[in-house]
Amino acid sequence: MHYILADFVQLDLSTALQVVLLGFIGGVLSGFIGSGGAFFMTPGMMNLGINGVVSVASNITHKFGKAMVGSHKHGKAGNVDKKLALFMLITAVIGIQIAVFINNYLFEGGTGHGASKGAGANLYISLVFAAILSVVAISMMKDVLGSYKSGNDGDSGPSRKIADAMAKITIPPVIYFKVADTSVSLWVLLPCGIATGYLAGTIGVGGFIGVPAIIYVFGVPTAVAAGTELYLAMFMGAYGALSYAYYGFVDIRLTMLLYLGSLVGIYLGVYGVKVVNEKFIRLVTSLIILLCVVSRAIAIPMYLRQLGFLSFDPSYDAYFNDASKFFLFASGISGCLAILVNVGRSYIQRRGLQKSLMVINPDV
Amino acid sequence: MSIVLISAPAHSMIRVLAKEMADKTGWPVYSRDQIAEEAHAQGIKLSRLEASIIKSPIMSEKLAWEKEIYLSFVTDVLFRKCKDHNLIYTGRAAHLLFPGVPNILRVGINVPMETRADIAAKQLNLSPEKTLDYLTSLDADVKKWVHFVHRTDLNDTSSYDLQLNLKHLSLANASDLLMQTAELPEFSLSDESVSHLEDLHLAARATLKLALNNETSSLNLGVRSSGGVVTVTYMPRQKKVAESISRVLGSLEECKEHVCTMAETNILYLSEQFDPKTENFRQITQLAKRWGAAIELIRLIPKKDGIPLFQEVAGPEPRTEPGTYTGGVEDDGPEVNTDDGGLHITLEELVATGRSAGGVTIAGGQREVIEVVRDTDNYSLVILDDLFTSKGPQASTRLTRELGLAIHNRLKTPVIKIDELKSSFLFGTKQAAKLLMFSLLVVCIYGLVFMNQLPIMNFLGGELHEHWKWAGSVMVFLFVPLVAYTYGTVTGLILKLVNID
Repeated sequence: MHYILADFVQLDLSTALQVVLLGFIGGVLSGFIGSGGAFFMTPGMMNLGINGVVSVASNITHKFGKAMVGSHKHGKAGNVDKKLALFMLITAVIGIQIAVFINNYLFEGGTGHGASKGAGANLYISLVFAAILSVVAISMMKDVLGSYKSGNDGDSGPSRKIADAMAKITIPPVIYFKVADTSVSLWVLLPCGIATGYLAGTIGVGGFIGVPAIIYVFGVPTAVAAGTELYLAMFMGAYGALSYAYYGFVDIRLTMLLYLGSLVGIYLGVYGVKVVNEKFIRLVTSLIILLCVVSRAIAIPMYLRQLGFLSFDPSYDAYFNDASKFFLFASGISGCLAILVNVGRSYIQRRGLQKSLMVINPDV
Repeated sequence: MSIVLISAPAHSMIRVLAKEMADKTGWPVYSRDQIAEEAHAQGIKLSRLEASIIKSPIMSEKLAWEKEIYLSFVTDVLFRKCKDHNLIYTGRAAHLLFPGVPNILRVGINVPMETRADIAAKQLNLSPEKTLDYLTSLDADVKKWVHFVHRTDLNDTSSYDLQLNLKHLSLANASDLLMQTAELPEFSLSDESVSHLEDLHLAARATLKLALNNETSSLNLGVRSSGGVVTVTYMPRQKKVAESISRVLGSLEECKEHVCTMAETNILYLSEQFDPKTENFRQITQLAKRWGAAIELIRLIPKKDGIPLFQEVAGPEPRTEPGTYTGGVEDDGPEVNTDDGGLHITLEELVATGRSAGGVTIAGGQREVIEVVRDTDNYSLVILDDLFTSKGPQASTRLTRELGLAIHNRLKTPVIKIDELKSSFLFGTKQAAKLLMFSLLVVCIYGLVFMNQLPIMNFLGGELHEHWKWAGSVMVFLFVPLVAYTYGTVTGLILKLVNID
C-alpha cells in the first residue's frame, strides 16, 4: 500500500480560501441545478495542485455529509422515493467498486509508462469527465434551444420519449415505485444504477447521470428525481467515503473547507430554483457544464505529457494549468453570478410581497 | 345632538321603553316598523328580502347587492331624521347601523324569554307552547338576518355601549339610565361623527341612485365616500358597463367628485376544502380588502369517473329585467350539492363581503388548473392550501409545490402556500440560542482539526493510517455528517434570519 501523506497539499490561507470559494460556487450550482456540484469542485481542486484522487475522495466525502442534510430536507418535501433509491443503490455500489478499483490501480502507475504517480488517474478522470459531461451539456442545450424555437414557455415537463420507450420494456420483474408513481423493469434499472455508481466513484459526479436517467429513462418527476438521487448519493457518498478513506485518500481538511462554502451556496441555489424560471435554470446549467468540459479538456495534454504520450517542454504545464483554471473559474463564477443576480432580484421582490402579507398578520 | 340606537328582540316592550325615554327627553322616536313602511312606499319590499335571506341556501351576488340597497335606504332615511336633531331608533339590530361612527349610544336590551312569551301570546293569541316555538324560530331567523346583513353576531358584546337586562329593572328606571347615559358628553355627536355620518349618507345615496338606474342596477358595486368624494369599485368582469357609473353619479347632490375604480386584481385561492370560519380564510379576506382585490376560489379534487372536469358554481350572474326590483325574491334555483367541500358557503361569505370573483370545481391536476387560469392576467397572488391530500403527505407536498411552480411560470404571479400567510419566518430566542450553540460547536470542530493538521492527516493517510486503516474510515464516516449537520444548521439559521428559506 502506498504512503499518501506526501501527496496531501500544503494548505496556506490562499489555497484554503480558494477551496472555500470552490465550495460556494459548487454549492450554488449544486442547489440550483440539482447536481452534486462536483463537476466544478473536483477539477477546481485539481487546478489548485491537489492530486486528482485526493480531490475525488475529499469531494465524495463532502458529498456524503451534504447529501445527508439535503436528502433530509427533500424527504420532508416529499421528493424521496426510498424504494427507487434502494434499487439504484444496490446497483450503484457495484459501479462505485469498479471505479475505486480502477482509480487505485491507475494512481499506482498502472499505465506501465513509468509516469509520475497520479498522472494516469488524472488523465483517466479528465477523459471520462470531458466525455460524459459533453454529452449531458449538449443534450441539455439542445433541449433548451429547442424550447426557445418552439416558443414553449418552459413550463412543459421533460420529454417523455425515452421513458415511454423504456416503459415498453416489460421484462419481469417490473417494479412499481409509489412516490415516483412509475413502473420500471429491473433490467432497465440495473445498467442505470451501475453507470451512476461508476461515475460517482470515478469523477465524483453521480447526479449528472443519475438525475437525467431517473427523469428521462424512468419517467420520474424532476423534483423526485433530484430528491431520490440525493438520498441515493448519501449512501453512495458514505460508501465512497469509507472506501477512499480506507485507502487513505481523504483529506478531511479539504472536505471541511468545501462545506464552509457549499452549504451556504446550496441554500442560495435551492432558493433560486424556487424563484427563477426553469428554462433559465437549464440554460445556465448547460453553459456552465460546457465551459467546465473545455477547462478539463485543456488539461488533458498535460497529463498525456506526464504519461509520455506527448512530448513538450514541461514548463508549458503551467500554461495549460492556468488556462484550464481560467475556464473553470470563468464558468463557475459567471454561472454563479448569473444565478445570484436572479436570486437577489427575486428575493427583493418576494420580500416586498412578504412585507405586505405580514402587515395583515397581527401576530407578527 | 345625540343618537340612541336600541336593539331588542321581538315582543320585548321596546316601544314602551323608547316612548318612556322620548317622553322624558323630548327626542323623537323612530322604529324599524316605520322604516319598513317607508321602504314599502318606495318599492322596497323588506319582508320579501328578509324571506329570501332567511330561506336562500346560497347568498348570491344579487342578494348581496339587494342587501346593500336596503342598508343604504335605512341609512338615508335615518340620516334625514336625525339631521340637526336628536333621535331614538329601535330595531332588532339597530345598534349596528351607522357602522364606525363614534359618539352614538348603542344599546342592547335583554328581556327574559318568559316575559317575551307572555307578551307575544297576548299579541298573537297563541298557546304558550306555540308561542315559545314561534319565538325560537323568529330569533333564529333574526340571527341569520343579522349575520348576513351586518356580518356579525347579536351576542357580540363589543358592539354595544350599554346592555340592560329588564328581568329586574323597571322600564321607568331603564329609561332613566338610558337618558342619563345619552346625555353624557361621550355620546354627543362631535364634528368628526357628523362628518362620518355625512360620508355614510352620501355613499348610501350613491348606492340607491346606482341601484335604481337601469344602466347600473345590474352591477355589484362597492361604494364608499370620504369628504364628499364617492369611490365606486367594480369587479374586473364588469368593466364593460362601468362607464355608466360616472353618468349616473353625475347628478348626485353634494358629491364633490366621484371616482370609479376597478378592483385592481384577483387573488386566486386553491384548496380541496374551504371553510370561511378558519383563520386562513380570515387572513385572505383581509388581504383582499387591503388590496381592493376579489377572491376567486378553485376547488381542486381528484379526477374520478362521473365528475365533470370543470364545474362553475358561482360568478357573474345574469340579471332579471334591468331595473326590476324583486326585493331579493328569486325563483327556486337548482339543488345545491351539499358535498362541495365548503365551496358554496365560502363563496356566500365572499359575496356578502363584496369580494367574490366566483368559484369553480376542477377535477384533475396541474394541467386542468392551468387550462382554467391560463388566459387570466389580473391575478396578483395565488394561494395554495391543502391539495392532493389523497396522495399522501409526501406526494401532496411535492405535487402542491409543482402546481405552484407551473402556475408561477404560466401567470408570472407570486404563488405562496397558505402557511406563508402566517409568516412563519420567525427568529426567536430559541433559534438564537441554537445558532449560538451550534456556532460554538463549529468553531471548536474547525479549530481542533486545523490546529492539529499533521497528526490528523497522518491518521487518515500517513504512517499511522497504515496500521489503523479501518479506524480512519470509521472516523471519516462518523465525523463528516457531524460537520455537515452542525455547520448546515448554522447556515440554515443565519439564512432564515435574513428570510432566505
